[in-house]
Amino acid sequence: MAIEIEWRDYDVIVVGSGGAGSAAADAAAAEGARVLVVSKDPIACSDTKISEGNATVRASVSDADTEQELSDNLRVSGADLPLPALTEAYAKDSRAGYDWYRAHGLRPKINQERQGPYARPLAKGGHTVARSVGHKNAGVAFSHAGWDAVIESTAIDYLEDAWFLDLAVEPAADGAPGRVVGGLVYHAAAGVLVAVRAPAVVMASGGLNTLYFPKTDTMRGNTGDGYAAAARAGADLVDMEQVQFLPFCLTAPASYEGLLVGEPSTASFLGVLRDRDGKVILDGVYLRTRAECSAAIMRAVADGRGTANGGAYLDLTANARLPRSGKGFMRYLETSMPSAYRTARQALAKDAVRCETAWEVRPAAHYTMGGIRVDATGASVGGPDDGTTAAGLSGLFAAGQAMGGVFGANRLGSTALTENVVFGLRAGRGAAHLARTRNAPPADDAFRPLIAAATAPFGRAGDQAPAHLKLELQQAAWDCIGPARTAASLDRMDGVIDDLAQRAAAVSIPEYTLWNQAFIEWVELRSLLDVARAVTAAARERTASVGGHVRLDRPAVSILAQPYSTVVRGRPGPGGVLNFVAERARRPRTPTARLAAMRLKDAWRKAQAKALGLLPPRLLDPILDRRYQAILGPQDAAPPVTPGSPAAAVADAAE
Amino acid sequence: MKINIVTTRNGVRETVAYDYRPRQEGERPMILDVLLQAQATTLPDLAFRYGCRARNCGVCTVDVNGRPRIACRARVREGDRVEPLATLPVLADLVVRRDGIARQLQGRLSADQRAPDLNEEAPETYHALTACIECYACLDGCPMHARNFADGADDAAAPDAATGYRWGNPFSLLKLQLLRLDPCVTEDGRRAALDAAVDLGLDACVGCKGCKCGVGIDLKGGVVGELLAAAGDRLPASAEESGA
Ligand SMILES: Cc1cc2nc3c(=O)[nH]c(=O)nc-3n(C[C@H](O)[C@H](O)[C@H](O)COP(=O)(O)OP(=O)(O)OC[C@H]3O[C@@H](n4cnc5c(N)ncnc54)[C@H](O)[C@@H]3O)c2cc1C
Ligand code: SF4
Ligand code: SF4
Ligand code: FES
Repeated sequence: MAIEIEWRDYDVIVVGSGGAGSAAADAAAAEGARVLVVSKDPIACSDTKISEGNATVRASVSDADTEQELSDNLRVSGADLPLPALTEAYAKDSRAGYDWYRAHGLRPKINQERQGPYARPLAKGGHTVARSVGHKNAGVAFSHAGWDAVIESTAIDYLEDAWFLDLAVEPAADGAPGRVVGGLVYHAAAGVLVAVRAPAVVMASGGLNTLYFPKTDTMRGNTGDGYAAAARAGADLVDMEQVQFLPFCLTAPASYEGLLVGEPSTASFLGVLRDRDGKVILDGVYLRTRAECSAAIMRAVADGRGTANGGAYLDLTANARLPRSGKGFMRYLETSMPSAYRTARQALAKDAVRCETAWEVRPAAHYTMGGIRVDATGASVGGPDDGTTAAGLSGLFAAGQAMGGVFGANRLGSTALTENVVFGLRAGRGAAHLARTRNAPPADDAFRPLIAAATAPFGRAGDQAPAHLKLELQQAAWDCIGPARTAASLDRMDGVIDDLAQRAAAVSIPEYTLWNQAFIEWVELRSLLDVARAVTAAARERTASVGGHVRLDRPAVSILAQPYSTVVRGRPGPGGVLNFVAERARRPRTPTARLAAMRLKDAWRKAQAKALGLLPPRLLDPILDRRYQAILGPQDAAPPVTPGSPAAAVADAAE
Repeated sequence: MKINIVTTRNGVRETVAYDYRPRQEGERPMILDVLLQAQATTLPDLAFRYGCRARNCGVCTVDVNGRPRIACRARVREGDRVEPLATLPVLADLVVRRDGIARQLQGRLSADQRAPDLNEEAPETYHALTACIECYACLDGCPMHARNFADGADDAAAPDAATGYRWGNPFSLLKLQLLRLDPCVTEDGRRAALDAAVDLGLDACVGCKGCKCGVGIDLKGGVVGELLAAAGDRLPASAEESGA
């Protein structure tokens, strides 16, 4: 029983239906392109849907929030790895990007004075200005908008339950990466392979965080398929060592392992991180970046001062203890990250939920800053430094978490939802333009090897289960290329990948083609092996600690050093897993005067925070009380039922 | 802890008893924990949907002892029987075909009908409905959705691949009611949403005892009641299911 092949023709394929994919599809269709959205999860089921729903909207609070300010914030917190052309594009389009969600039904609270979405007047860690707009029902409200965008258009076709496998590429004569002529898709719900001829593909397929399962708070679909397909087709990946581990995720109970319970801002004015013995390992937590907090925890663990489950204690008790402002703090905790707090409420003991005791937390993979290397139009680039499209894979575009280069070494809270659309729209438009101008003959030969590779595993009678190999890889990835790395652990990772690649040749996959889970696991295992190799190669090229890349055996990068991004390009390797060659792309440093100004602002806020902590409670309490009143703003009712709430769990509610 | 998992491969249905081993003392696992452990041990090919493990993505819904449950946040008990949703066609094991629901709304939510001034706040009733995670628990016992399978097929029939199911369901009505509550939707847009609800079979709701949402949204009052009131006498007088 051979799997059937179904041929289709489109102008643009969009892989993924999160914020980036739906925006890209909408933009390409608006340009007149025939669009096919391919999504492994049901439409709009994505990280976008499960997010906290905080979105960066520049100048929502103050006119002082210029494009330059926002762009600089991204660059400085990203340790100058971000490509300025990308951060500038982000800053330029951030308001319009956000309004795309609104055009499809996202309805924030309105700041009547400023005639725009209402943002709380509290800057999140790493942002120098308050600009994060929160939403009722968090990410679910965003996913309704993205869902509508795909479903309401009759110019967009879609396949869900459909795994994008590989890009079909016609090689260039001169050894350059060539051009995209389509892609191959496993449509599990129909049990067929779909060969789609199309001159342009937008990868909006999310990240690789499932490489660290269960120590991740993201969707299971984040198996790095987009990165792997791009790399197999010859495209460059950038900053792949930069995986963001969110510091405050749960270690237990088991059902909740890895889930998000807070951001640095959750720590509020008085929260600190403590080691096993109660010693403070980080103060002023609310002003720190995610990377700083995660690094502090992992260093304590490496020193043998970690908690029972290999984490640290997030101690919020000082906030809650004050008689007046303590109430404001609890209200802030409940409302600033509603779904995270709900997770905490369901998972932790009652006294911890009331912040009478500290929370045991451990970092978990949350976001992949690295990704497909693109320019400001979302088009694949190659070559030295900023790169050029001429040296990139022509016809490949990327947006959202699938693209790399805009956040560098650290992504600030609330920036992703906006980024999705900013680059989703750009990539969608770029892809439609390219499809319109490209007039090349069909190149069905490019599909043949892909079809052969995808057909072969059905009915293979080996002794290895792809699902089990995946779990082995995930455990090793956490240990070797996770939130703490050493030269030896990187070498160990390569050994594990080699071993698993070899065993993957002997997998057992049944012959039936309708939703064959073993085949799906095999597809994702293949992606994860390729991206694990890419992360390892990039991590080796990044010789000092910076951002999401923490080398326990190396010092932090000097601020005087020339910033660079790592660029990796795949070559066929043993066992069908790619090998990567790594290079450096130079990045400009933020001009000293602007950098100094931002550091000063930051230092000043941290000094203020420290001084605050030294005040006796009698004086401190009223000051904080006033602050909470200002931050919390006018009170308004929460919706009667919110996703993830205890009332929503029929079985839980009974207990 | 013994759990019965109903698997389907190549159309053959089977019940497999799985023995769950607690990971911690006193662990009270969720249904999803059982499925993940089964896949990690003796049933490596077991097919089931999940995404967020946190009751946000809405894809993990399965029937437990005949009732829809969100697997990642429903505790499992000794002897529970875990089956695919009875209301949609089975693809493999616990995975059902979902796309016939969304497709029925294609082209019925036109963006042209959203007005340009975005700085309007939506009423609370709007936000009450965007809590929907699209888990499809509400298809259970819905006479309107059941019309799609009226030809006597035991199992849920496959939807039309291009247009989805002919008849509606609580989720589709909720999406249409959202348009009617959105301050940025024009009068034309609201009217079109109501027309779509009527076309999808709103008459089935007349006298129906009402739908239940898997996450607790008030569908009866917030969606069905509102649509019925707005449709008034546009509904066919003798709705067959009425009073049933
Ligand atoms: C718990 C949590 C909270 C967050 N909170 C915030 C927040 O408050 N603010 C913020 O700005 N950001 C937040 N983020 C980050 C943000 O949600 C994501 O980074 C962003 O939504 C990613 O969007 P995307 O469109 O790039 O990818 P996703 O939304 O993840 O979509 C990826 C899509 O690709 C599909 N896909 C993947 N592989 C394939 C394949 N091989 N074939 C076909 N389809 C495929 C998936 O099915 C999915 O549809 C949060 C993330 C998490 C996990
Ligand atoms: S209305 Fe409720 S039960 Fe129905 S899909 Fe939405 S959340 Fe699920
Ligand atoms: S009220 Fe209408 S939508 Fe709800 S269950 Fe009855 S027929 Fe279905
Ligand atoms: S896994 Fe997302 S709702 Fe259950």
